[in-house]
Amino acid sequence: MTITREVVESDDATLIERSLNEPESFAVLFDRHAPLLHRYVTRRLGPGEAEDVVADTFLAAFQRRGDYDRGRPDARPWLYGIASNVIGKRRRTERSLYQAYIRSGVHPAEIPGVQVEDGVNTLAVNRPLARALLGLKRADRDVLLLVAWAELSYQEVADALAIPLGTVASRLNRARTQIRQALGQGE
Amino acid sequence: MDELKTMWETVPPAAPEDLAGARRRLLNGMHTRRRVVTAPRLLVAVGVAAATVVTPMIVGTGTPAYAVTKSPDGTITMTVNELRDPVGLQAKLGEVGIKADVAFLAPNTRCADGRFSSVDPAYDGQPATDPDELRSLMNEWRSPKVTRPISVREIRIFPEHINSDETLVLEFREENDGAKVPWRLGAWLAQAGTSVKPCTPIADAG
Repeated sequence: MTITREVVESDDATLIERSLNEPESFAVLFDRHAPLLHRYVTRRLGPGEAEDVVADTFLAAFQRRGDYDRGRPDARPWLYGIASNVIGKRRRTERSLYQAYIRSGVHPAEIPGVQVEDGVNTLAVNRPLARALLGLKRADRDVLLLVAWAELSYQEVADALAIPLGTVASRLNRARTQIRQALGQGE
Repeated sequence: MDELKTMWETVPPAAPEDLAGARRRLLNGMHTRRRVVTAPRLLVAVGVAAATVVTPMIVGTGTPAYAVTKSPDGTITMTVNELRDPVGLQAKLGEVGIKADVAFLAPNTRCADGRFSSVDPAYDGQPATDPDELRSLMNEWRSPKVTRPISVREIRIFPEHINSDETLVLEFREENDGAKVPWRLGAWLAQAGTSVKPCTPIADAG
């Protein structure tokens, strides 16, 4: 199949619908969202498993595309919701990443040298943050990081995780309280 | 919360080379169903072999398009002589307690993918790489256990493999060589409480 300009410029919902008859259209969705999804996963798990998680996420999405709510033109909440489940199966990797960072002060995927000037200050903030993330319940961490790192709105997080908006607010509130406490305590 | 937003923000978005493997896996995964669907087709082929030693059915004027009967052991025999009136067949199956979704297809077509969420990968999972693996997967999955061909036009249904509120999705396709094999059947289980979308026929040479 030739990917036409019309396909490339379609919104996500149109692409997904089209992919029911023309599966290759789904690759356009991958090209559109995989780079930033990979970044999100890398921040949470490190670079070692990010590509696998992205592949698992898109394969699961492809298989479930018949259930996609076509009233939602932006597929990011749907994709990040699936990714959250895939990440959830790798909790140990996520914990190891935070623990390693607390010890070494190095995230394995950060571009070295970018923050040299304020590197010490960054570390003074990031270490307690990593410790706080490590201490959060998985459900609270998912909500917090979908807002902070994936930049989803509260409603989009609710859609992504299939939970009520009020639950998003309460989880976020709880997580933020723990983060604030961690920052208040500092090193 | 700005501190959290900027935490590890220098991690860059993936470049195409970082995603090449994932993209390849997705593209490979897109073409799995047609190969997995050979599983029920293999079963139908078994039915064809069996038909050589049983009395072939004579289809003449007045033969009903389909029939559904329940046996004392709880199994159900579905006879399909003619691909006509899928709604009626579906209703007949409903009368014997089988929640089904029936689609009839012309030769060289299949239903577009993604009609429903399957209880197992028999519908749209990864392809089997060889007959041994296929056999092993068939033992693991429930979908293939629900139906078994007993002659070229008869399928036995085993309700004990269908959980509450699951839908038995049946896609019958008419075959070009109707004298030997009148139709082929894909049979899968849709997850309980989920809907099955109408079949959109698309071309399929396989």
